[in-house]
Amino acid sequence: MDIQSSSSDSGPKPSWARRLSREPLVHFLIAGAMLFAGYRMLNPEADRRELPNRVEVSDDDVAQMTIAWAAQWQRAPTASEIRGLVEAKVREQVMYREAVALGMDKGDAIVIRRLAQKMDFLAEDMSSVPDPLTSDLRTWFDKNGDRFALPALISFRHLYFSFDHRAGNTKADAERVLVTLAGKTASAADNESLADVFMLQDYYGDRSAEQVASMFGGTFAAKLFKLSPGTWLGPIESGFGWHLVWIDSVTPGRVPPFETIEGMVKSEWTNEQRMDAKRKVIDTIKARYEIVLPRSLRQ
Amino acid sequence: MMTIGRSYLTTSALSAGLFALFAGSATAQSGADRNAYFGQTHSHTSWSLDAYIIGNHITGPAEAYQFSLGQPVKHPAGFDVKLRRPLDFQGVSDHSEYMGMVRLANDPTSPLSKQPIAEKLKVRTPADVIPIFKWLAGSLAKEEPIKELLDPSTAGTVWKQTIDIADKFYQPGKFTTFAAYEWTSAPNSRNMHRNVFFKDSKKVPALPFTAIDSVHPEDLWTWMDGQRKAGNELLAISHNANLSDGIMFPLEVDNKGRPIDAAWAQQRVNNEPLSEIKQIKGVSETHPVLSPNDEFANFEIMSFLLGVDNSVSRPHGSYIREAYQNGLAMQEARGYNPYKFGVVGASDSHNTVVSYTASNFFGQHGGLDASPQIRMAGKVEAGMSVLETSTSGLGGVWAEENTRESIFAAMQRKETFATSGVRMKVRMFGGWDFGTDALKPRDWAKVAYTKGVPMGGDLPPLKGDAPTFIVSALKDPDDANLDRVQVIKGWTKNGQIFEKVFDVVWAGNRQVDKATGKLPSIGSTVDIKQATYTNTIGAVELKTVWKDPEFDPSQHAFYYVRALQIPTPRWSTLDAKKVGVAPPSGVPASVQERAWGSPIWYTPTDAARAKAPPGVTVADLKQRGATALDDTQLKDLVSGKSLQVKNTVTGERFEITYGSGGKRMITSVAGALPTVGDMFGALHAGETGSSAEYQIRDGRITTNIDGSDFDVTVYKLGGKLVAARSNEFGYANYEMEEAKP
Repeated sequence: MDIQSSSSDSGPKPSWARRLSREPLVHFLIAGAMLFAGYRMLNPEADRRELPNRVEVSDDDVAQMTIAWAAQWQRAPTASEIRGLVEAKVREQVMYREAVALGMDKGDAIVIRRLAQKMDFLAEDMSSVPDPLTSDLRTWFDKNGDRFALPALISFRHLYFSFDHRAGNTKADAERVLVTLAGKTASAADNESLADVFMLQDYYGDRSAEQVASMFGGTFAAKLFKLSPGTWLGPIESGFGWHLVWIDSVTPGRVPPFETIEGMVKSEWTNEQRMDAKRKVIDTIKARYEIVLPRSLRQ
Repeated sequence: MMTIGRSYLTTSALSAGLFALFAGSATAQSGADRNAYFGQTHSHTSWSLDAYIIGNHITGPAEAYQFSLGQPVKHPAGFDVKLRRPLDFQGVSDHSEYMGMVRLANDPTSPLSKQPIAEKLKVRTPADVIPIFKWLAGSLAKEEPIKELLDPSTAGTVWKQTIDIADKFYQPGKFTTFAAYEWTSAPNSRNMHRNVFFKDSKKVPALPFTAIDSVHPEDLWTWMDGQRKAGNELLAISHNANLSDGIMFPLEVDNKGRPIDAAWAQQRVNNEPLSEIKQIKGVSETHPVLSPNDEFANFEIMSFLLGVDNSVSRPHGSYIREAYQNGLAMQEARGYNPYKFGVVGASDSHNTVVSYTASNFFGQHGGLDASPQIRMAGKVEAGMSVLETSTSGLGGVWAEENTRESIFAAMQRKETFATSGVRMKVRMFGGWDFGTDALKPRDWAKVAYTKGVPMGGDLPPLKGDAPTFIVSALKDPDDANLDRVQVIKGWTKNGQIFEKVFDVVWAGNRQVDKATGKLPSIGSTVDIKQATYTNTIGAVELKTVWKDPEFDPSQHAFYYVRALQIPTPRWSTLDAKKVGVAPPSGVPASVQERAWGSPIWYTPTDAARAKAPPGVTVADLKQRGATALDDTQLKDLVSGKSLQVKNTVTGERFEITYGSGGKRMITSVAGALPTVGDMFGALHAGETGSSAEYQIRDGRITTNIDGSDFDVTVYKLGGKLVAARSNEFGYANYEMEEAKP
């Protein structure tokens, strides 16, 4: 599935420095370097690789294990439990080193997936987007307003001609009544003898197409929204019979003013920027590789 | 995959927020009348252990709500599905036992996946699924909880996430969500499941009460009572009574083996106002064996014990109509009725997404039934025949507005109805003052609320000669026309239970057949080969004012409405057409989709009851010096003999032959050979007429009928023999004597 399309390359051109500061790959590289440094600091083990035959468990490591234990079991480990933890740790380390030495990490689907996943998170974390300026948001909103559109709403009254009461004449009866209503006002239909009693409402105010469909059926809703206000029209068919309709008003689907939904615009913008930035990071990394696909899948 | 999931979430939360801007207009409705809202109270996502195992790996509660809002969502098999008309409300009910554990352990973005225990739940190859399932399901079966997974820091996180998601999708006036879960107790594969719904999310506890905490519903209710006391209102909806093997609606002892009493009944009524009458694993209204005179009883019946092959769930104690009837008899004999509840229809889909109608059917069990080809293969999985599974049922409530408060209140007062999946609206009002013109005013429903009670209520005290009922059904505008509306009445007399189906209003010019008392079939427009039908028969709306023509003010009674559509092709017939094969033979090619309303109950006053002659009870007999026959005397009485038996409640006389080899058979009714129907209604009202096994032990003749044991105790009073049946609540309704050859 495709992630929503980007629009970061449009709009007024920001300054070079700002553009650079927004370039995801730059973020990625800078943050990646910082992260790597931090990772080294927090995980000195990563450096111990240089001494392949030495496994060292420090006081800090033991403290770490003790905390993890306590978090899980709600009490401190006993001395023998600590020895057990350390032994497990040592065992894990030596087995791990042997496995790496034997090249067992190569081609292992789990290792591959896990490392790729780590990079994936890194890419996503690095794609964190700085707070936008309101003017940026507004510019973006002008191009993407459709995503925030409210559905069209219709207000209408109707006269109901029931299949139950009129069987094969239902449509013809409705057409006949329509003739008598030609050029008349909405209230001309207030005479109850013109049509049948409808079991739900005779008037509906400000309903979306979806709401009309759930009451009258999908076909009726589709046809109703094609009609214009101010005159008796129809008949149109629903699951219940035929209807003459008078549309009071149609509020077209509209995009609300930016000011009223700035918060939503911001979160959508942020989401899009992040997805987009992440995609760019991955594209950039991909570009450093020659990717060879079977002939059948090339383009 | 992960990122897509997240982007979905933001988009929908966004439109949710937008909708709230103008949602107010949709809630305003006229005066005191209520609106029908359709919703889903039972569905599973990948967060349910079993759903994950059968291939639902990706979509969670958020996608379930998105689906109900009408957005396209992925079926577990990878294709997009969409609900054509959004729902009004939903509470996603994932299994609470190890909820979300497998799914979230395998979602690297979840906090759970970072915990050490998650390593044990990671699915690295498809084959890993089996041992994980065995580990978790085994812990449930063996009742050996896995502590790490139940720790509040683990289970509580997931539970909180489900509540947060429900809150996020709640749009008052447009779409109501509930914090909910399924309590999944099935001792020995006998289904006792309940879905628990919270009124709001403000005081929801840190952890739900699960079947790991206890498999006994009594313990669940006690926990619920405690929650309620703490200001956290909630209710439970039982389901799949049909798969409970007779233990969903017990009469004598509760699930812990203690005698049922008034306190038990009260606790049940307080906590369980609703039961699911239809879902994908069958209908729990009634069974043809229990309702042999109801020609529409054989609808989407499933009777098996889930997880066990070839086992049949006992019908007695497994169906709602019989529970309603027994509830009346318990009320009369013991002064309490534990079975005063309403109905909803629901799904139990394990796909996150839900198929409601035959025309939009895409299976309900992950990979087990994901394509028409797989479904047509006729497989049986864990005892469940895929072909027998049904479309999802649908719940309906009559409520003032689409909010948690309003819908929850409707569920609590049982002003609910169920459909087999279609958007049919039914309602019923009961009262003493409805004239034949009660439906004339345009605002008849408003008047009905003031002059009577809606579904789920109790008739006001007797006034006049018989109660009248306003019944109304409106078709689904996008589905088939209506055939008929029926009122189903149940009543009790001296511990015996009775039922009758009245056709009260129907389409076309049909006349009730005087000889059979039945309304002829509406016919069918179904073209089985093409899997089509037309709305050239049937009605759009059926409504009437009906008065009970057989009312006896001394008898407890209930009334509920059932509305049937004209026949339409079953989902399997539509699938067969798609695959290009003949419709499968084991299931009907066409069905009559339908709706059921919650009952209205009538309770006689003491004065009204006193007017009827009292029945004979075992206590009366003992007081008058009667003695119970012991095993030897019983053997002498029945073994190898024929007995004349008179049912003193109905006046029916019949002859039972007890073979010396342990089989008994009803051999004549009222001096003539029994018809099949007569045999059904003899000593064991509503049973199959074939011969049954019997044994004599502990002073009882124990007969096994349709898998359930019924005991008969025989008392000798003077020269007379009077028998009492174990399910007749202390009444001794049968006079016996040896048949004269």
